[in-house]
Amino acid sequence: MARRKAQPSETTARQAKLAALRAQEARKRRQITIVMAAIGVVLVVIVAFIIVYAVTRSNSSGTASSAKTTKVVNAATGVPPGVFAEVGTGAAKASPQQIPGNHSLTADGKPKVLYVGAEYCPYCATERWAVVAALSRFGTFSDLGTTTSSSTDVYPDTATLSFHGASYSSKYLAFNGYETQDRQNRPLDQLPAEDKKVFQTFDAPPYVPGDSAGSIPFVDLGGKYMIVGASYDPQVLHGKTHLEIAKAMHDPSSDIGKAVDGTANLISARLCTLTGQQPASVCKSPGVTAAAKAMSGS
Amino acid sequence: MDRTPPEVHVPAWAVWTSLVVCALGLLDAAYLTFEHYTESTTLACSESATINCLKVTTSSYADVFGVPFAVLGVVFFLGMGLLCLPVAWRRPGRPLRLLRVAGAVAGVLVALYLVWVELFRLDAICLYCTGVHVLSFVLFVVVALGSAAIVEESLASEREYDGST
Repeated sequence: MARRKAQPSETTARQAKLAALRAQEARKRRQITIVMAAIGVVLVVIVAFIIVYAVTRSNSSGTASSAKTTKVVNAATGVPPGVFAEVGTGAAKASPQQIPGNHSLTADGKPKVLYVGAEYCPYCATERWAVVAALSRFGTFSDLGTTTSSSTDVYPDTATLSFHGASYSSKYLAFNGYETQDRQNRPLDQLPAEDKKVFQTFDAPPYVPGDSAGSIPFVDLGGKYMIVGASYDPQVLHGKTHLEIAKAMHDPSSDIGKAVDGTANLISARLCTLTGQQPASVCKSPGVTAAAKAMSGS
Repeated sequence: MDRTPPEVHVPAWAVWTSLVVCALGLLDAAYLTFEHYTESTTLACSESATINCLKVTTSSYADVFGVPFAVLGVVFFLGMGLLCLPVAWRRPGRPLRLLRVAGAVAGVLVALYLVWVELFRLDAICLYCTGVHVLSFVLFVVVALGSAAIVEESLASEREYDGST
């Protein structure tokens, strides 16, 4: 009797267990579907990144000139440490000079580098290669362009880069670069009041001789050091294409490599004093320490 | 009433794969952290137009609110390593399981952000960072699939049903 009474409840319990198992199975299937969908979404995002990156790259190299610009910029901003080490101070003729007094130029809590030049100016064309090579060791440029200096000035048509429209990001330094005129002397970038004041103050007596006041290129390194004019002989770039110059920067035995990379080492050594010798990978590198030693002895 | 906790069946592959991935990720992130605090002086990475570890690890994107991503990577893989211990996988209840899945999702989202930064902001790829990103993705897959495959059986209720209490 007791067994007969238990049968309906056992059947109900079994059915309940079966239903629970089915529900669990269904839940599991749902979970696996959700998981597979999530994995799929992540994969789609990764594939989309790769496709957009590839398309962007192929678009940026869609025309011969933009492909060339990309190659030039990549080469100029990616000089290997070994090349800098081998060049040392190279064929640099001048180094960033200390600004008398106790000035400082900062932005966002970081030492700031201010460059003022113009695209027509052959000395700016010369100096830009070294400034770009040096700053690229501390951060990343975006949208650097290429241009040539004026066809009617000394060292005509010197191939160079342009800071017009470029930006720079670094955790060590801030950078503002202005090209005040294009290669045909038409107005280009306007200096904001703050940077204009720095330019007008330090690119004038007593910081520079009276006849050099307002000269470009003018580069202020954190208010501590400055460059006025080209730091190496512009003649080494004469007749060279952008790509030839950029490639030569990777050759420590070339005249261009010695001049541009040597100047970049000197600028880097000064920048290292502003960043507290950071990053060490740059500031303790043989090229930079050789440059620092050369300047301390000068 | 029997108070035996429910028995949790976890696929062995999920437990061990997740642990191995966490260990590898921890090693990779620890190396990047070491490089960060030694100013990348010994970073062994080839340099080309696209592959450039130094450009990535010394960029302004290498930190978030002053904390290096490399350090966050160490914390992430340590935390996930603890959550992926066999005892943690087999612990019944949802909170720990949800925490593990949330951690894996957070890891893969951060990895996607960093891949975006490398490709579209820096135009440079750091191989060690890519290693961490791949491991984060693998961990996400393993944790997600492993969590979905978990079977939790309530022994207590079955024993109640069997009348074996």
